[in-house]
Amino acid sequence: MKMKNKFYSNFGMFQKFLVQKALYILAIIVVFALVRCSKSDNPTQREGKIEFNFTQYNQNLPLKYDTMIYTNEAENQYQVSEIQYFISDVKFYRSDGTFQLISQDEDIHYVDTDIPETQLWQVTDPVKAGNYDKISFIFGISEEKNQSNMFVNPPERDMFWPEALGGGYHYMKLNGKWLAANDEIKPFNFHLGIGQTYAGGVINVDSITGFVQNYFEVDLPNSGFSIKNGDTLRFEIRMNVENWFRNPHIYDHNYWGGMIMQNEEAMKTACENGKEDVFSFQELLNINEQ
Amino acid sequence: MNSKFLYLSNLKTSFKNPGRMSPLLNGVFISLAKAGSIVIMTLLYSSCNKSNDPVPFSPTPYKIVIPYGFPTKLNIPDNNPMTEEGVELGRALFYDGRLSGRTDPDSLISCSTCHIQGNSFECGINNPDFIYGFPHGITGKPTPHVMLPMINLVWNSNGYLWNGKVSPQNTSLLYGNIEDLVWMGIVAEHEMNGDTSQVKQVFQNIPSYVEMFKKAFGTTQISMDLISRAIAQFVRTLISSNSKFDKYMRGEQQLSAEELRGFVLFTTEEGGDCFHCHGGDGNPLFTTNKFYNNGKDSVFTDPLDRFGITGNMMDIGAYKATTLRNIELTGPYMHDGRFKTLDEVIEFYSKHLINTPYIDPLMHHVVNGGVQLSLQEKSDLISFIKTLKDEEFLSNPKFGRPAKIPGL
Repeated sequence: MKMKNKFYSNFGMFQKFLVQKALYILAIIVVFALVRCSKSDNPTQREGKIEFNFTQYNQNLPLKYDTMIYTNEAENQYQVSEIQYFISDVKFYRSDGTFQLISQDEDIHYVDTDIPETQLWQVTDPVKAGNYDKISFIFGISEEKNQSNMFVNPPERDMFWPEALGGGYHYMKLNGKWLAANDEIKPFNFHLGIGQTYAGGVINVDSITGFVQNYFEVDLPNSGFSIKNGDTLRFEIRMNVENWFRNPHIYDHNYWGGMIMQNEEAMKTACENGKEDVFSFQELLNINEQ
Repeated sequence: MNSKFLYLSNLKTSFKNPGRMSPLLNGVFISLAKAGSIVIMTLLYSSCNKSNDPVPFSPTPYKIVIPYGFPTKLNIPDNNPMTEEGVELGRALFYDGRLSGRTDPDSLISCSTCHIQGNSFECGINNPDFIYGFPHGITGKPTPHVMLPMINLVWNSNGYLWNGKVSPQNTSLLYGNIEDLVWMGIVAEHEMNGDTSQVKQVFQNIPSYVEMFKKAFGTTQISMDLISRAIAQFVRTLISSNSKFDKYMRGEQQLSAEELRGFVLFTTEEGGDCFHCHGGDGNPLFTTNKFYNNGKDSVFTDPLDRFGITGNMMDIGAYKATTLRNIELTGPYMHDGRFKTLDEVIEFYSKHLINTPYIDPLMHHVVNGGVQLSLQEKSDLISFIKTLKDEEFLSNPKFGRPAKIPGL
């Protein structure tokens, strides 16, 4: 006991100093905690999180790659090797017509069937709790945002669309092969991006008279959802690959051939199909309830 | 009174008169005071102790300046940060003929024996030591494939060598990055055929090298790991970004009419369609660093193709798309060096592609045998490709042999 008392007296001043400092810190922590509590009680700040899982299907089954097992509406047998594409400007629409646009820090998302990490997008931006009627997004990148050299790192960089053909980035590369006449297997590059118009129909860069923005907005069907405070909802955005070649236009590889970057008519046809029913939506799960 | 109120009551008391604490807080702060005194004493002791030590190890970070349009993500492993001292050491080792562990003048071999700066760090097709540009090791054994240029490798995270065997994505610790390539080069029979014990000993016996290792890595104990790290650091500095095309992209120099026509051919699908694999205005590395079966063969017997690494059937006959920077200096071309000139390469892509189940879909021109360029178009395309020659890179003294190599 005696030793202890001596210790106290030696450290008396130091102890006083520590007490003062520690109490100030404690007070600050309490104030912050109270402020935080009052914030979370504010109904206008209630919010949840959204995740998108990107999948690729063909005829209602997960897409199988590099195997000639599919037949399109034009009766082309075909296979798919890889798909790479951008979606951008995702919007969550409320019933009153207003919408929340996903943060401009992550307004363009890249999906690559060879890179699993790109197939799950955990949106950083919180979404206000409430009911939403639908989700929409831009397939590709809008004219305003599709600027050359904005992506310097792979994999997005490798989507660049040459300056001579309009610049910016491919909206999509869907590469595969089809079975042509005489059982010849021919590769196709179903690449979509900025189109060109050519004077006299001569496909030559020197005869380009203008560029065509082929990006389009997709209203995901049946994509209404409700989100509560603290929810993390995972949605599936499914690409139904066969529909690129089906509706409203039957897309025939024998007619359009293996390359379409300089064929605006082919890209227009493909994009009109894309807007129709290529993408579908499904609410997968509420992660917080698992 | 519940515990929450007790806590607040104690707090209130302490605020009013901090010198008179409640028993609860008293105990806490006594412990704090004890802990504080121990920390202070420890710090005082350690600072006294340190004052007796020599100057602490503090290498200077090496900063890579990202050229216009180049990627910002660099392949620098966390365990080998780049430093000025490390790069300087790596450069000396890169040019040191004793790197195989042998010191006899007749048996010297260094990285630079084959990786020659003036040939974009390849051996070169006109090198009298390597007939037609086919390299071999000190034993005379040929390498499995011809060389790849040692250029802008700091931006490759997708695998090194023609088949990507060495890759940061590998789970194998042996084949992960440039550091491992250095080690492999030193011991491989078809390269230096070195003995690691001798290698370490040779440099350990040279005091000025020991001093350089100490400055670079804080130790005087030389190891193969540190040798590899140092050389890898130097290799990561080998950046080419000042070709005529780079200057064109920066608005500093115009291309000729012929070069511009070639540029358009390079980047259009209806033209040469080179850009999907070899980059262009949106990818200044002039490679995606990916692997493609580009339609060279109908029979595939090389066990060291990409398929040999991945086991994926679609990788049969696939090899890395090489960078086209300085390509006019880096023949012979393709993994097996089957083409001696760029003219032969362009002719192949124009008319002689072979369709197989394994050809990459990006080679869709195969249905016509190739891109079918006219003589004028071939000439234009080659003119453009030659704008990718970077004279500054080829003669930059920072990449060359140091004026002084330790112990020589």
